[in-house]
Amino acid sequence: MLSYLLRRLLLVIPTLLGITAVVFFVMALAPGGVGASLLTHEGQMNPQQRRAMEQYLNQRYGLDKPPVVQYLRWLNKVSPFGYRDRADAKRGLPWFKSPDLGESFSRQRPVTALISESLPITLLLNVVTIPIIYTIAILTGIQAAKRRGQLFDVGGGTILLGLWSLPTILSGVLLIGFLSNQEYLRLFPTNGLHDIQADAMTFLPTTAGGSFQRGWLLDTLWHLVLPVVCMSYGGFAFLSKLQRGAVLENISLDYVRTARAKGLAEKEVLYRHVFRNSLIPLITVAANLLPALLAGTVVVETIFGISGMGRLMVEAAFVRDRELVLSDALVIGLVGLIAYLLADICYVVADPRVSYDA
Amino acid sequence: MTLDAAVSSALAAAPPDAQASDSGGRPVRSLRRQAIHDTLSNKRARAGLVWISIVAFAGVFAPFLANSYPFLIKIDGRISSPLLRHLSRLDIVLLIALAAAIIIFSRRHVRVSVKWAAFATIIAAAALGSRLFHAPGTNVYDTYRQLQRDGKIQWAVYAPVRFSPNDRMRDQPALRLTPPSRHHLMGTEANGADVLSRIIHASRIALAIGLIATSIAVVIGVVIGGLMGYFSGRVDIIGMRLIEVFEAIPSLFLLITFVAFYGRNLYLIMAIIGLVSWTGDARFIRAEFLRLRKQDFVQAAIAGGLPLRSILFRHMLPNGISPVLVSASFGVASAILSESVLSFLGLGLVDEPSWGQMLNQALNVGGAFTWWIAVFPGLAIFLTVFGYNLIGESMRDALDPRLHGIA
Amino acid sequence: MENRFGLKDLIQIVLLIALIVSVWLSMKQRDREFVLLQEIQQQGVEQTRDFVSIRRALQDAPRIGAGTTTQATEFGDPFRYVKEAESKPDFAQGDWLVDNFGTKVPKLTPLISSDAYAQIVQARVLESLAYQDPTTLEYLPLLARSWPRSPDGMVYTFQLRQGVTFSDGEPFTAEDIVFTYNWIMNPKVQAPRERAYYEKLASVEKNGDFEVVFKFKEPYFESLDLASGMPILPKHFYGKNTPEAFNENVGLLMGTGPYRLKNPSAWRPGDQIELVRNERYWGEPAIFDRLIFHQVETDAAELTMFKNGEVDLFGATPEQYLLLRNDQKILARTQHFEVSSPLRGYTYVAWNQSRKGQRTRFADKRIRQAMTMLTDRQRICDEVLLGYATVASGPFSALGKPQAAPGLQPWPFDPEKAKSLLKDAGFEDRNGDGVIEDSQGHPFEFKLSFPAKNETYERVILFLKDTYARAGIKMELDPLDWPIMIKRLEERDFDAISLAWTGGAETDIYQMFHSSQMKDNGDDCMSYQNPELDKLIEQARSTVDEEKRMPLWQKCSLILHEDQPYTFLYNTKSLVFIDQRIRNIGRSKLGLNYVSRFNMPNPWYVPKAQQKWTR
Repeated sequence: MLSYLLRRLLLVIPTLLGITAVVFFVMALAPGGVGASLLTHEGQMNPQQRRAMEQYLNQRYGLDKPPVVQYLRWLNKVSPFGYRDRADAKRGLPWFKSPDLGESFSRQRPVTALISESLPITLLLNVVTIPIIYTIAILTGIQAAKRRGQLFDVGGGTILLGLWSLPTILSGVLLIGFLSNQEYLRLFPTNGLHDIQADAMTFLPTTAGGSFQRGWLLDTLWHLVLPVVCMSYGGFAFLSKLQRGAVLENISLDYVRTARAKGLAEKEVLYRHVFRNSLIPLITVAANLLPALLAGTVVVETIFGISGMGRLMVEAAFVRDRELVLSDALVIGLVGLIAYLLADICYVVADPRVSYDA
Repeated sequence: MTLDAAVSSALAAAPPDAQASDSGGRPVRSLRRQAIHDTLSNKRARAGLVWISIVAFAGVFAPFLANSYPFLIKIDGRISSPLLRHLSRLDIVLLIALAAAIIIFSRRHVRVSVKWAAFATIIAAAALGSRLFHAPGTNVYDTYRQLQRDGKIQWAVYAPVRFSPNDRMRDQPALRLTPPSRHHLMGTEANGADVLSRIIHASRIALAIGLIATSIAVVIGVVIGGLMGYFSGRVDIIGMRLIEVFEAIPSLFLLITFVAFYGRNLYLIMAIIGLVSWTGDARFIRAEFLRLRKQDFVQAAIAGGLPLRSILFRHMLPNGISPVLVSASFGVASAILSESVLSFLGLGLVDEPSWGQMLNQALNVGGAFTWWIAVFPGLAIFLTVFGYNLIGESMRDALDPRLHGIA
Repeated sequence: MENRFGLKDLIQIVLLIALIVSVWLSMKQRDREFVLLQEIQQQGVEQTRDFVSIRRALQDAPRIGAGTTTQATEFGDPFRYVKEAESKPDFAQGDWLVDNFGTKVPKLTPLISSDAYAQIVQARVLESLAYQDPTTLEYLPLLARSWPRSPDGMVYTFQLRQGVTFSDGEPFTAEDIVFTYNWIMNPKVQAPRERAYYEKLASVEKNGDFEVVFKFKEPYFESLDLASGMPILPKHFYGKNTPEAFNENVGLLMGTGPYRLKNPSAWRPGDQIELVRNERYWGEPAIFDRLIFHQVETDAAELTMFKNGEVDLFGATPEQYLLLRNDQKILARTQHFEVSSPLRGYTYVAWNQSRKGQRTRFADKRIRQAMTMLTDRQRICDEVLLGYATVASGPFSALGKPQAAPGLQPWPFDPEKAKSLLKDAGFEDRNGDGVIEDSQGHPFEFKLSFPAKNETYERVILFLKDTYARAGIKMELDPLDWPIMIKRLEERDFDAISLAWTGGAETDIYQMFHSSQMKDNGDDCMSYQNPELDKLIEQARSTVDEEKRMPLWQKCSLILHEDQPYTFLYNTKSLVFIDQRIRNIGRSKLGLNYVSRFNMPNPWYVPKAQQKWTR
């Protein structure tokens, strides 16, 4: 197991190299070049100012060098060891240095700062969404398996598949249009994760001062409702189907027959024995779900005006902010690879029959 | 959109031996026949198929279903057909292609060579025809409405929807953003064009994106996966890294980066969607080939000294393609969704109608919520995606041997 | 079997997670309390300091009394409009003004932030030496009291106000102005744009604590605008940073202005932008208690917020304006304004006259004139912009200074005349396919490039496509993203391009129409040249005297009208809804009587009875 893990960890490095190389050369070879959108100020800048800006960018980021050189320079900068410039040559071990993700062209701030602002927001969305998806998927999956072939199974399955097919762009637009519009119902806020006055609120809901005040926590939850609905409904179908399949598979196995023969109640059999074992595939899939959800927040964040990773990625790509796009790819890639690794480990832990050392 | 990537990766992550364990013994061909039969007899799959046929029909016959030019018209005693005169090359090529497809698939007992000859003739005729064919260079859509108003038209036969998708009603500026009415069954959009007409014409782009992007993905996936599965060893390891690279970056992200950097071109979008979504197919083919490689008929073919191409594509591929067909069906659905997300983010087409672009417009029309622009194209996307997913799921159920015993 | 994952384990894990989450949440709660506490402490410290200085000031009262902060000077009274407001019977201080920016502001630190929204915030916090009165277009003194000009127009001597302090209580002196200029000119500071702009200055030197001398390299008609518009940064606050630290700091904002950030260095992108009244302000105290700027991006969300009454100001698109104006609820709650302003500029189509060294068909003046006459600009204004725009006659707005020749009318829409012009130039339909061709049979086709992802452009361009089709001209759409568009502009690689320029009270046309701008990526991207015009532009720019300058601009406008290097399309109006409770909204030459981009004091107020946010 340990050697397998070590091998997997080492293989992460070429994969990360591959990811950044693909993204880098996609950008470097594009017409118009990197960072050009910074040369105008909302489309207008006099030539003098434009040239000043161009020179400044070239000097700062080496944009006039050939792409391969630029890529190597970038790699050197982000990797924890490599060639160091004179400034920090004095400290620490030779060849080791602190990795630096660079600075975003468009926002002129360190990329690390931008990502550390956005990533928690996206993770928050996902942390709220995943348990909801799982709870509903597991419940419907078991029920469907219990009543397989009946209306609940077939109809429910079709409805879930329909939900999966429903584009988030449509549901998001409709939800905002009907549920948070004053013309129809004004149930939910339209935008962001906090109210205007959230900073002045107490943390927990209070009834101090005679009237009910929802407080910061409740306010945040209230803002989360629509985005989370949009992110979660698509996930039910697939997981529920997986759960149904797993339950069905387990029901046909010997140990269930034994349990039934032993005279256990059907409920007992289902929830004490089958349930546990049927969770295995869902656990392993959880890790695979994370990267997909990270990407999926792009649309939800756009519609609901939440500034998470998705927005950061899209905006970086729009303005051709090289450092930011590359670092986003790196971070998302890393999260994805770690998730896959976890999936493998989970698989071994959850199912002792599997071994990677063979 | 959120989960299709997860689905394909999770499908791929399922232990390969689970698929391999059962189907080994049975003759494969009959299994496939059975699977096709099972799929087609499934009510849900049939519903999906019906809807997609409707969309395909709308795509091929779009100019006859929605057009500002009358089909037949009598002016000053002369009968003419402005609609036919304004058909574009693409319209004609599509019609001919449909005819060719019907010929090829209908008469089963004609020899293959004859079929191909007929097909080639049609293609040649189409190419020649489109050379000679000369549609007017500019479109003034309200010409005939104006003639009608002036009372110069004796009689005219119109298409069921009397508006072209790009007919922005310049003669009736008040008609923009009107809700559904008798004349415009699904209302009009921000520039005054008829929503229904645009939906009908947009079905072309939806189908084309789905099919072409998925074909590209399948071809890349089959070639790379096939080589990995057949050679295994070092090729396999390198291939797996390549797959991991493409899987670790969410495809939507890669797609947005590509399109943001290379501009908005329909063909480019198709190619890029194909380019970022081949990994699932490669995984399936690899797993199948790893299994098939050890089987007798392949070993026999290798021993017989057949060329590699023949072994890979004539012997192994037909036996290992089924899971790819399933994932292709889901792939078409997710390609359509990808296009709509791109359009929604403002990276889509401008002049030509596309469902995603219309949905984008619904949000951007001054932020006022014009529900008819959101609901109808949204519904079209939803139904088409749903249709493909239904077919895909039925196919998967039919091909999954485990479910035969229990369900 | 027993080491397997079971229901009990699941419950345990869930409980554990719940525990961790609640611990984290309570930590967060403590943290919030801590921040509040700090704020209160800080206020206490500052109040004590103010107390001390007031006491000292009282002791020295007779010495200070002699005319340090007398507000009106011979150059005018900066608080003219505020004082007018104060004299109204229902005037009251208080309440908040809530606005929304359609985007997330990345930085508030001056110089290194370039977007218009950050400028709006900075204009409340920082002050410059003078501001342009939007009603008279004269300059009114702010931090300066007067600015005599040398006879050759190249030296301005600014006398400064005394007794002005920054919002942290430190005094403002000439040293701060010199510091600001040097800071901008420091190549390590990330302000290449501003540096290029102030390039015209030869030096900025102080002469004692309250006098500064601005020397220019050459006579320049906008020199006063340039010198008086520089936002003054406090040396003691910004100067303690290295340029590198300054470049990386996104929320450094402090000045002498009527408002301040609660903490002048703690703002982070994504945070709410909230300005509070600067109690130490030297002039008339600001009327609103707070200014709140939301950063909501989606159109729909923005509109909903406005409908729900969460924002006081709302700039509508023509579409929204039309819809909202018919909404009784909105009408009852808001007042609406259609505002024309020279600041809005104009939209145009530039016809490229030379491509890859070859003259194009647009090099022929007749064809350019014909294109303008084929463009039904009135219909674009009426149908696409729903009547909230006017046809542009040229680069000069009729609303600013009188730069356009009196009585200059835009070319009329006249397809017949256009057709005969095209025929003169050799274009007619020779093969009956509906497209006109030249004598060699080349059809009249071209691509019109325009910025992608912009709804209004798209609709205007689609309209142009349909109108040109009627004249037998085949136009294709070519939407371009910025990076690609810039590249194509630099290489002059396009047939025609549609873009917009913003304007000002006086518009300089050197940048786009002077022939020197044809090379080196200048903005004369269509390679237009006219020696006579060149001479006139140069003359106008070096004439500091306005009386003599205007006739020169007027001659320019006539030449441009004849040559039509651009087809000038339209001037848009801004369509603004403002909450009903806000009073004293008036008009000026530059739009409303309060221009948020300027340093001018805001004269709007909310009567006591209608105040919403002040409890």
